[in-house]
Amino acid sequence: MRPILLSGHTRALTQVKYSKDGDIIFSCAKDQIISAWYSANGERLGTYTGHVGAIWTVDVDPTTTLLASGAADNTIRLWDVKTGKLVKTWEFGSSIKRVEFSPDGKQLLGVTEKRQGHLSTIIVYDINYDDIEDQDEEHALRIVVDEAKATVAGFSYQSKYIISGHDDGTITQWDAKTGEFLDSTQAHEEDMLISDIQWSPDRSYFITASKDKTAKLISATDLSVMKSYQTDTPLNSAAITPVKDYVILGGGQAAMEVTTTSARQGKFEARFFHKIFEEEIGRVRGHFGPLNYVAVDPMGKSYASGGEDGYVRLHHFDAGYYNFTFEVERD
Amino acid sequence: DDYNKRNQANAQIIDNRRRMLDEWRAWRARIVEDELGDDAVEVAGLSVEGDAEDNSEAVE
Repeated sequence: MRPILLSGHTRALTQVKYSKDGDIIFSCAKDQIISAWYSANGERLGTYTGHVGAIWTVDVDPTTTLLASGAADNTIRLWDVKTGKLVKTWEFGSSIKRVEFSPDGKQLLGVTEKRQGHLSTIIVYDINYDDIEDQDEEHALRIVVDEAKATVAGFSYQSKYIISGHDDGTITQWDAKTGEFLDSTQAHEEDMLISDIQWSPDRSYFITASKDKTAKLISATDLSVMKSYQTDTPLNSAAITPVKDYVILGGGQAAMEVTTTSARQGKFEARFFHKIFEEEIGRVRGHFGPLNYVAVDPMGKSYASGGEDGYVRLHHFDAGYYNFTFEVERD
Repeated sequence: DDYNKRNQANAQIIDNRRRMLDEWRAWRARIVEDELGDDAVEVAGLSVEGDAEDNSEAVE
């Protein structure tokens, strides 16, 4: 897997997302810019500029019409993917840590950060595709997260549930129509922040990454923890691969705690585990700092990692990746 | 003796993997039947192509 280095950002990457058909990669960073890249060759095809703070999160709807972003400038912004035009800005009292479209693209959720005088909330908007410049100012749903603050959230299959991850290691399930609290579980160690939630292709289950050095595979229906992947480093991100039953984990110790040698030599690694057997299969080195995000092509052809080093590294899977199977899988 | 022990250990690992695979497949079958129905998807991007084909048929 020879990587393609996507250079264009000048500061740490925060999130990387593929379009639904896998053709385009969107990346956002602390440099206040969103970039779009062709996944086939890594060529940059455009940028989306306007945010005036670190951009924490980005997502694209299933038809690749609209791009949503959230930032430290306390706004959620909506962009026309093709023209790069800003079509809507929603303003808040605190940072936006995560945005995500519903599976059908008809709704968008945002996670607002808890700050003095501001509650941690999950906010949901209905999205209008008939006239993309005419979006509701008012939210369709607002969930106030009373207990531990929410760090990440997303919609389950059929937009049935909203699942949120919190800074105390808990996961909560909400009714996505009414915002009613349904269930909660201590999926990770207490007071260990959940840094990422990513979905399986049909969103019936998801993977969480945590500072407790583990990732967990969890059922969206009953929040049961089905699988656990143990590493030796705090995790920032975890993704589920289609086609092959793998998960990819990314993380790394913060710069202060790392020896300068390992930082200089690009020793930060993406870790591959078998999704079902929970066994580590391999590692891919390259970044010169922690991996802040790992994303997988929905078609299963490639994966991309966004690093604290300011680079996106894009890897196309080779024959060895597809051909590898455990004996019991061949039965 | 060592050879026998190793073989036994390997057999245990393989049995364990087979059990995990069976459990996973049973869970998937149950979730598809109870919750997902036609929304069950193994590769997310492929459903886009499916939609496009449906549209072209409607035009004809």
